Order: sequence, then C-alpha cells, then structure tokens
Amino acid sequence: MKKILFTLSTIAVLASCSKKELELAPFNQIETSLAFNTQADVNLAVLGMYQGLRGNYVGGTSNILGDVLADNLIINSLGRQTLTTFGDWRYNGDATVGLFGTGYTIARRANAILENIDKFPAGVFKENVRGEALALRALIYFDMVRTFSKTFENAGANDSTMTFITSTDAKQLPGKETVRGFYQKLERDLTAALPLINTNNGVGRLNKAAVNALLSRLYLYMGEFPKCISASTAALGTTPVLPSRADFPSIWTDATNNGVIFKVLNTTLDNNNAQGVNYYQTVGGLVRSEYVCDFDLRQLYGISDVRTTTYLQTSLWNGVLQNHIVKYAGRPGAVAGVVDAKLLRTAEVLLNRAEAYQRSGDNTLALADLNLLRANRYSPSSSLTLTGAALLAEILNERRLEMAFEGDRFWDLKRRNQPVQRSATTGDRADGTGVRYIRTTLAVGDHRFQLPFPSSEINFNQNFKQNPGY
Amino acid sequence: MLFLMLTFAFMQANAQNRTITGKVIDADGKPISGASITARGAKSGSLTDGSGNFKFSVTPDVKVIVISSLGQLNQELRVGAASEYNIRMAPADQSLDEVVVVGYQAFKRKDLNGATSVISSKEIAQRPMQNFTQILQGKAPGLQVISANGQPGAGAFIRIRGTGSINATNEPLIMVDGIAVASTAFSLLNPNDIETITVLKDASSSAIYGSRAANGVIVVTTKNGKPGAPQVRYSFQRGFVTQQELQNVSFMSAREKLQWEFAAGLTNPIIDSMIVNRRGSIFPSNATLATLNDAQRQGLWDLMADRAPSDWRDYYLQPGRTSSHEVSISGATEKMKYYFSLNKFDEDGVLFRSYRNRIGARLNAEYKATNWLTTGVNVSTAYANEFQTRERFNTQAPWTSVFFTNPYEPVFMPNGSYNFTMTGFSSLEGTLRNTQFNNGLSTFATSFLEAKVNKNLTFKSVAALNHVTSMSEIYLQPGSNLAAILGYNEKTDNGSSNFQYVITNTGNYIKTFKSKHNLNVLVGQEFTKLNFYSYSLSARGFPTASVTTLDNAAAAQAASTSRSQWSIISYLSSVGYDYDKRYGVKLSARRDGSSRFGANNRFANFWAASAWWNAKNEKFMDKLDFLSDLKVRASYGTAGNVPGQFYGSLGTYALNVAYNNTPAAVPTQIANPDLTWEKNANWDLGIDFGLFNNRITGTVDYYNRQTNDMLYSQPISQATGFSSILSNVGSLNNKGIEVSLTGEIIRKKDLKWSVNVTYTNNENIVTSLISDNVPSASNTRLVIGKPLNTFFMVRHAGINPANGRNQYYKADGTITETYSLNDQVLLTGKSPLARFFGGLNSNLNYKNFDFSVQFYYTGGNYMYNAMYQNNLADGGNTSVGFRPQYRDANNYWRKPGDIATMPNLTEASQKQNFTTDRFLERGDYVTLRDLMFGYTLPSQLAKSLKLAGLRFYVQGTNLFIGTKFRGIPEVGTVNRDSGTPVQPGVLNLYGYPPTRTITVGVDVKF
Repeated sequence: MKKILFTLSTIAVLASCSKKELELAPFNQIETSLAFNTQADVNLAVLGMYQGLRGNYVGGTSNILGDVLADNLIINSLGRQTLTTFGDWRYNGDATVGLFGTGYTIARRANAILENIDKFPAGVFKENVRGEALALRALIYFDMVRTFSKTFENAGANDSTMTFITSTDAKQLPGKETVRGFYQKLERDLTAALPLINTNNGVGRLNKAAVNALLSRLYLYMGEFPKCISASTAALGTTPVLPSRADFPSIWTDATNNGVIFKVLNTTLDNNNAQGVNYYQTVGGLVRSEYVCDFDLRQLYGISDVRTTTYLQTSLWNGVLQNHIVKYAGRPGAVAGVVDAKLLRTAEVLLNRAEAYQRSGDNTLALADLNLLRANRYSPSSSLTLTGAALLAEILNERRLEMAFEGDRFWDLKRRNQPVQRSATTGDRADGTGVRYIRTTLAVGDHRFQLPFPSSEINFNQNFKQNPGY
Repeated sequence: MLFLMLTFAFMQANAQNRTITGKVIDADGKPISGASITARGAKSGSLTDGSGNFKFSVTPDVKVIVISSLGQLNQELRVGAASEYNIRMAPADQSLDEVVVVGYQAFKRKDLNGATSVISSKEIAQRPMQNFTQILQGKAPGLQVISANGQPGAGAFIRIRGTGSINATNEPLIMVDGIAVASTAFSLLNPNDIETITVLKDASSSAIYGSRAANGVIVVTTKNGKPGAPQVRYSFQRGFVTQQELQNVSFMSAREKLQWEFAAGLTNPIIDSMIVNRRGSIFPSNATLATLNDAQRQGLWDLMADRAPSDWRDYYLQPGRTSSHEVSISGATEKMKYYFSLNKFDEDGVLFRSYRNRIGARLNAEYKATNWLTTGVNVSTAYANEFQTRERFNTQAPWTSVFFTNPYEPVFMPNGSYNFTMTGFSSLEGTLRNTQFNNGLSTFATSFLEAKVNKNLTFKSVAALNHVTSMSEIYLQPGSNLAAILGYNEKTDNGSSNFQYVITNTGNYIKTFKSKHNLNVLVGQEFTKLNFYSYSLSARGFPTASVTTLDNAAAAQAASTSRSQWSIISYLSSVGYDYDKRYGVKLSARRDGSSRFGANNRFANFWAASAWWNAKNEKFMDKLDFLSDLKVRASYGTAGNVPGQFYGSLGTYALNVAYNNTPAAVPTQIANPDLTWEKNANWDLGIDFGLFNNRITGTVDYYNRQTNDMLYSQPISQATGFSSILSNVGSLNNKGIEVSLTGEIIRKKDLKWSVNVTYTNNENIVTSLISDNVPSASNTRLVIGKPLNTFFMVRHAGINPANGRNQYYKADGTITETYSLNDQVLLTGKSPLARFFGGLNSNLNYKNFDFSVQFYYTGGNYMYNAMYQNNLADGGNTSVGFRPQYRDANNYWRKPGDIATMPNLTEASQKQNFTTDRFLERGDYVTLRDLMFGYTLPSQLAKSLKLAGLRFYVQGTNLFIGTKFRGIPEVGTVNRDSGTPVQPGVLNLYGYPPTRTITVGVDVKF
C-alpha cells in the first residue's frame, strides 16, 4: 500500500503539465493581424519598406549592372570574373537577375500598408504614409519594368510586361499586362502621391521633390516632354541648386546631401559594402577591379572635369596600369564600399529637362540647362553654343559622363533605341591594350535588351509567359 | 491375482522403456556437467555427471531428446536404434541475452520482434572518430550513413529506409539514455561509453516514439557495470591521419601547366614581366611570349618551376594525428552497479592548423535501495575545443586553395611575406590571421526511479536533460590581409545554449497466465521541452592581434540575442500478447501535441500493429533438421515528422530589422493555420532464420514506407512578394529489401572465422506533388513518378572532330553547337539517391590473434562533379584557366579529325565551361572502411605481469577506395559555409577532405 501511494504521488507531481505549455510564440516576430494597430506600427512598416530598398539598391548589383550590360565597363581579365553572364549577354531564365522576386517583395510591403492605412483617421499622417507607399511602389515597379520589358516609346500595343500588383493576396496567379498600361499606372500612382506626400520626410525617405524627380524620369521614358519639363521644374525649384564643383566629390562620400534628392541609407551598423565590392577590392594596398572603365569612355573624361578624379583612378594592378572606378570608395576613415545609395540627383533631373527641352524644340532653354551643369563640372568652364542635333548629342554625352557607373547606361540606350556598340580594338589596360570584349554588339531590337523572367515563376505560373526570344 | 497383474504391468512397462547413455562435451572437447537431458515436451529428465556422462530412460514414443546447458545452444537429437550418443554442444551467442532498451522497455535481444538491428559496443569501440554517427556506416541493413566531411568531430547524415521528406528533416530520432539529443552534441558523446545502439526500422518498434519517428529511431544506451569483480581498464591509441587521395585524376605539373597556358593563349602577367626583365639580355629586345622559340620558353618554364614548391599541399595540409587516453572502472554488486569513465581525445586534422580536442567524463550508477525500489543516474560531461578553417568556394579556405593555387607560384615573396598568388589572397596568411576558435560543453543527465509495486506491476519515472553550450570566437585580426582589403578589423563572439529536458512516466504490467499466455501492457506519459538562446557580439578597431577580448576594441559594432522554444506533450501505450513464445501480436499507440502547429491541428495520433510467429518450437521443425531457427513477422503502423521551423504556421512580421538605425517591421511569413504533421505509413514483412544449428543466420525484410501530407514549401507566385508557403502537400514512397546473412564458416577451438554480408536496396519515388516538375536545387527537379531530385540539365554530345567545338543535344535529340538552357531535359534514372548499399564484414580469431575487416559499398547514385569541372577550363577561359588544371585538360582538340575530350583552345566561343551532364558521374564505390589486427597476451603471461588482460592492435580506417569517380565520391555537405545541402551527395565544393587513418593502440585490464 505504501508502495502504491508513494509511486502514484511521485508520478502525479511529475506528470502535471497542461495544454497551455504548447502555446508558444516567437520572440522576434508579431502576428500579421497585430501589425497595423497603431501609428507606431505603421511607422515600423514604412521603415520596413525602405529596408527592402536597401537590400536591393545597397546590397545588390543595381549600381553596376546597367554599365556592365552596356559599353561603359570592360571586364578586368585579372579580376574575379563576376557578372560574366551579363557582360556577355548570355543570360536566360535560369541565370537572371533577382529583381523580379526582390521587387515584388518590396512592393508587397507597400501594398500591405495601403491595404491597412484606411482604418486610420484622415490627416497629415495618413496622407503622407499613403503618398510614400504609392511613390515607393512606383519607384521599384519602374525599375522592374525598364529591366524586363520594352520602354513605353518602343513598346507596341501587344508588348506585355508583368502585372502591376496592388494586393497582398497570397493565392493570386497574375498573368501579364501591356507595357503601355503599366507605365500609365505608374504615372497615375505618382501623380496621386504628389499632393499627399510631405515636402520633407527626413534624409533617406521619399518626399515631394523625389516624386517629381521620378515623374521627370518617367515622362522622359514615355516621351512626354512637356510633362517632363514641368515635373523637372517642380523637382528642381525655380532656381536649380547644384552642388558646386568643389562640393561634388562630397556627394559620393556622403559628406553632403546637396544635389541628392533621394538616397537609400546605409549606416555604419548596416555595414553593407556591396556597392564598393561590385567594382573592386583593395589587395595589398592596390585596387583590384572586377570591371574597369572602357577605354573610349575614359578618353571622354577631360582634365578639367571634376568627375574624372571623383569617379576614376588610374593605378597599377599586377604590374599593369588600369582605369579603376572609385566612385564608391567609401566614407573617409570608414569601411571601404559602405556608402548610401544615391538614387535621384538634381543633375539627372536637369539633364532630363535639357533633353526634353531640346526634343520638344526649345533649344535655348535646353542649352541653358546644359551650360548650368557644365559650369558646375568643368573648370575652367565655357558656355557652349550649340543647337539642333549637335546640342542633343552634347546633352546625351554629358548624361553618359554624369550618370556613368550608376547602373543607368543600358536602360538609357534602350530608351533611345540605340544599340550597344563596344570597341572591338581596345582592351582592359589603361593604354587600350589588353584583353578585349568577347562580344561587342547588341543590335537595336535584340531580345536581350529585355532581361528574362526567372524560370521558377514561368514554370510554376501558367498565366505568366517568358519574354520572346528566350 | 492382483499381485500377478501388477507384476505383469511392471514387466510390460519395463520391457518397453529403454535406456540411452552418452557423453556431453563442449566445443573445446571438455565434458559438461549438469547438462540436462529431457524428452521433448517433458518437464524433467536427467542430468550429466561430473564427467559429462548421462543415463536417460525413454519411453518408445519419444523420438527427440533435448540437451541443454547454461551458456550453450540447445541441441536436439533424434533418437534412433542406437543407445549411445556423444553430443558436442556449441556455445550460445551470449549476446542474445543482452538487454536492450526499445520503446520505453527493456527486452532481451532474443525477444525482440520487429525489424531492429542491434549494434554492440565491440563494433564501435576504439574507432578513432570523435562523432559516433560516422562509425555506424555499414553496421546494419537499411541504415545508410553518409559522412558529412573529414573535419575532426564531423557527423554523418543518417537515413533509415530511404529519404522520406523534402523540407522536413530526414534524420532519424536519436535517443540517448531517454532523451533526444541535439546533433551538435553527437561529437561530445564518447563512443566508448556506448553499450548498445539499437536501430528501429519498422513501425512495430518505432511507432511508440510517435511524432518524430517517421525516419526511424536509433536508441543509444550507455554502459553500466556487470556482475563480477570490478574491472579497471586503461586504453591508449595513437593514430596517423592523411587526406584520402583523389581517385582517377592528377594535376598538371608546373611546366605542363605553363605550356598549356601558352597553347590556350592566356597572358600570364608573371611570365610577361619575366620576359620584359630579360629583354636585351637573354632575349631580343622586342621579345614576347609568342616570338620566343620553344627552347627559350622551356627555359622560362623551368625558371618558374624552380621557384615554386614541389607540392603546395605540403603547406595547405598538415600531417594529422589522433591521440586518445581512456580510463574506465566498472562493476556490480547485489545492490549496486556502476560505470565510470574518463576520456581524452585529441585530433589534429589534415588541413593547416585544424584541430579538435575533447575531454569528458561519465558516471553511470544504479542502486537497489530496497527490494522494490531502484534508482539510478547517468551523468556525463564533455568539453571540446577546436580550430576551424574556412571552408568556402574561394581562396580563403585552405582546401579550396589547393585547387586554386598554380603549381608554379612560389609560397613566399622575395621579402619573406606570403605570396598572395594570382587569386589575390593567401589562405596560409588567412588561416593564421583570420582565426575561428570554437568550443562546446555538453552535459547529459538521466535519472530514474523504478518502483516494483508487485511482481507484475512496475512504475518508472525518468527525468533526462541535455544542455549544450557552444561558443565561437572569430577574429579578423588587425594587420591581416583581409582586414586591409575590407578596411577594418573585427572580432565576433557568438554562442548558444540549447537546453532540453524530458520527463517520462510509465507503468508496465507483465503477467503470464496459465504458463503459456504472456501479457505485457505499457502505459505512459511524457513531456519534452527545448529552450534555445543565442547571442552575438562584435566590435571593431582592435589595437593589436595579441588582445582578443571585446573590451579592447574602439567601436562596438553589433549586439544581438535571440531565443526560441518548442514543447511536446505525449501519451503512449502498448499491449503485447504472445502464446507460449510462439505466436505474438502487439499494438501500440501514441498521441502527441506539439507547439509547432496552430491551435487547430496541435494533436495527432500514431499507432502500429504487428504480429510474429516463432517457428522454432513447432513440431514440423523436427523434420527440417537443417533449419534451426525461423521467425516470421509483419507490421504496419504510422509515424510523424515535424517541420524544422518552430513557428511555421503563423503569419508574421519580423521586428529584428532596422532602417537608418531605427526599428522596422517586415512581412516574413504567410500564415497557414492548417499546417500539420507529415505522416508516414510503413509496413514491413520479415523473416529471421538460422540454418545448420545456426551456423548460418540471416534476416530478410521487405518494407514499404509511404510519406503523405509531406511538409513542403508550396510555391506561390513571386508576384505576391513571397515565393512559397509551408504546407502539407505531396507524397513520397520508399520501398525496398534488406538482407543480412552471417556465416560461421569455421568454428573450432583455436580458429574461428565468420563472415557477414548485408545488402539493402531502396527505391524512392515521388508519388504526388502540388505541381509537377519543379526545380529543387540547382540542376535537379522533383518529378512525379521519379526519384527525388532527379537531375535536369543539358546533355553533352562530345567534341566535334571537324572543328573542336563542344556539341550538345537539343531537347529533341538533334545535335547543336549552341548551348541553351532551353535544352535541359530530365535525366531519367539519375538522381543523387543511392539505390543500393551494404557491407561485407569478416572476423577471424586464431588463438590470441584477432583480425577483422569491414567493406562498405554503395551505388546507383549520381553526383555532379563540380570539383572536376572547376579545374578543367574549356578552351582556356581566364576565370578557370588560371587555376591548376587536371592532366585531362591536355586532351584538347588540335586539328580536324581529332577525337578529343576537350574543345579547341583558341576559339573565343569555346571559352566557357557550361553545366552539362559531362560532369555528372556515377557515385558508386567500395571502400575498405575498417581493418583491425589485434593480439591479446596469453592469460598466463598477463597474470605474471599482474594484469587481467593486455591487448595490442593496429587499425586502419578508409584505407582503400575503389571507384570510377574522378575525385572522392563519398561526400555529404557541399562545404560547411554553404549550409546543409538539399540533398547530401548532390555535389561537393571543397568541403573538408575525407581522411584515412592508421591507428595503433593498447588496451590494459587490471
């Protein structure tokens, strides 16, 4: 009897455990249903959107891909041979950019905010949040559509692109929509965001000027020159303020925000050096590049141009002089390659406007904008007097020099229906000798101007078809 | 009248009985006294006397007599006309009486009735491996063990009856003394402390382990004292470790490589500068590599080769060694048994600077407090510290550097610093200055209380815990090359604490009714919980490499902690009934609730039913002399598998992200409130048999294992911002045969020789998927009707003899010279899963010498030989061409009509190394896994040295491997830095090389 009592009581003590023990929650996450209860929650989600932008623009290849695909960069035969699939135009659905998935991940964060913001009372907070979400979504969708599809001007009525997703429904299997329709939705969202968004949301966040800058770029791609001009003017203000020649290098070391309309922040704690590593690493005190400046492009940078020393450096690697790109060298005294991602600058908007003026017939105002830029880049600078096709060519030349090594060139050539024509006779050394390009020409209308969609989506989603040619 | 009748009856009876006589001796010829002789079926008989003689009276109807003796196999003798019989007995397999723990109860090995394999301590003790999972290879049919890599302490991937899951774990549940151990603790468990390892393969034995038992269960029991005088043992081992040589490939020498680079038109900057420096002196003033003549070029090659080391592996690798000391004391008295051991195992790995040292102690004790109350405790602690080399697909890793450093490069620059080589980084310098030291401490403690309430009913309570803490210190030292490249120096200290405890209460009722009906009922309840905590701290700006603590750093960089937990509540029961140990059935059931699922689906039930027939005692066995043992069994049951994610069913926003150093929230997971267990339904049919007095024994099992409601990342459109939701969709099937045959070929006094062969054949098929033909990893697909992860790639069609270009098959079978990913096809029949595997073991004992050998073979799987592709530059493309090349690269096309294996070296379009089935190779191999020679000192000699026993031995592991694969076909992880592979064995990318060890050792018993 004693035995039974003893054993049963011991077991009763040890066996007591209730079902509540099974209700365990994670320590660093909250359930989705609880994520939008207060304004503080919404702020967290808004910053979450920007965190996604950081992953893509700071952490990815967006600052180099457009140059590798075009004629600004040639591979360093002594480098680590990165991005060769893109430099040689050998990509397809199984070897393509991750922008499709990453872009939609960022857009989803904006969509979640837009779906939940309505339950908040009307006011400045609600409107600004909606404006930021619409603008950020348009920013990423614009990047996606110019990567994967034809531009508005080049697209026919039948050319299609991915779907402009506005819902967070996990079960949707979207097909495709027309390129032109997609661009029009971008325009609709950006113009809707414009009155809603604040003039100032702090550094590292979108604001009215940024939305106007995006509209300026969008209208240029759409060929809508009057709208481009008015958006650019709204972004630049009555007197466009450009950083002076002395101040220009500070943009790239994050010492100033003068001339920067929007950038994605990358703090010392974030410590993401991908923008720098995309271009080079320092080995034994020397720069070892993955890609070096194309010889012909290098000749276009003159001594009086402040960009020459800001963007480029000619130095030895393995006993050979090469033209390295040091635009993303880093902040003074800090880790190499860790810089903010400058996405929208006044210089670009000014060039957009200059081109829009010229192509809508106003050579005078186009020339004025061009000379304004030149005054802040060249010393000694002289005003040019050009007109017509020569003026346009000079504007486009300045555009190439200004926007080089920001991942813009390939999309710019695509927009203007130009081929990629690389030199067949120059190589990767500073003197023009060295290993040459394997492939030199991408003709206008080649299907490879539109990057392929990932096979993983094509194979799974029957409604979604691959771009033609792949 | 009555007297007459009685006398007559008596005389009748007497006239019909007869007396048989004889002698009973044992295998060595010595007489056995006290052996019993009975008529079959009778209860009593007679016994042999001191000289082994017996006299036995039998009635005429008796046909068979049974002779039995303790420690000997029962013998049955057909009684014929003769009246004198000499009977020689054979020793019984003592191991059949061994007690093993299966399903929360202890059984004698001979009473196990399911598809189970028992591995005894003898088979795994004294093997020079720090992780016991690696020693299990080839020890049981159906148990497939793939070693992860050759790092000291590395574990192995274990599969029992095939691969049953895609996203959830495929590893079996491993219980050590009643608790499921974290895999990080396997290398902290001393293999010499293990008494038995029982592998539970079918549902009848594993279903009672319930929700985590879908992949089988391995039950490990540690040693305890045996009755008799205390045994004190000391053993010492010293091993010599080398890297297993790559098979079927060799690298070009320095001269060959330079000549090949020249033929490929590669501009080697070092050669160029050497020519420039000699212009005007040895060479003409405008000389270039192309304008020199052959002799001058050869002269340059010689100059380069002389500056280089003869073999870079002398620097990247080091001679490995193992050294192990162990002391153990064990014994038992009436009231108590105990086992104490102390062990130290130090190992230097084969890679530069790699080592792992482990020290541990264990005390297992059991005390019979009263005649109804027993208590016991098993406690062990182990500590290990190691230096971990980088293991990546770049030159920071020493092993990768062997494949990336050209044979003509010198080790040191003229100024004495390390040569950064053409790769730009010296992994020698990196291993010295970018260090990673890890250590781990594991504590196991199991304590129990057992109360025998009456002679049938026992209650037992077990509380077990396992606490593993590990720590890493990763130091990017100031002054190192990597610090200069990155622009900062940094130290990261991180660590984790993994604490798991289990409380199990069981009640066991065992009763025999009417001496033939045996009933065994078990009822129990269990609670398991795991708490995981980890931290990571880093700081930058160290003044000098000689200080390592973070308080010396100028700037703190990151501080982070995280925590997670899971728990399981279980109720279990089983009922077993057998009739006269001849026919038996068993039913078991278990109900588990887990915290990993949403409230709707928390609990699930698992059950199994099995039946067995032990034909040994049947009447018809008399007629079949040659058949000494026969058991037929069948079982069917269910088991479960849980997802790896602790909180997988919730839809969540993660808060552990920031933008501009301000907190942010990002969507992380889509909710699936229906998420539930992965279910396995297994059935098994098996036969155990023995022939010729158990001279030949064997087991054959046929099994079929079906996985339903597979935990699978169901793809969704990437347009949703996610690419998958964890769901239960799809099913998988594994079926196959396991065969094991053991023969005691020679069984004499001084010479014993036995051979054991195992063979397992497993067929794996994906039976349903949510969407067919999905990519699973690079170059593999999941296709309904085919094995898991079947390869999917472009087919190579050789080199065109006319122009030396690569040719590929288009999807429709025509040949083309253009590579397109649209021509990828499913390569039916080629998957990384092995189709068959097994072992051949043999033991030979001659007087005091013992010899054992173990072969392991496997095949039917294919592997993508990336390590071969990466050092074979097609057409000399610069990214691959500046790596060392295999000699096969010299077989390139030179002129029209050549049949070559490599394309022409100069055409620009051929300078790309595409992924095709050219590098897909069969992974079949046979390896001499273990070889051991031992000599035990004769007992007289040992006694004169005042020892109870002394044994010397020499042992070798992985001494020989036979394969057609180009490289080493036994691979598990891709490499450590890229994490656990989708499928172990898909490809190998410079993981720690597997090793070969020769060990000498001595075992002393006092």
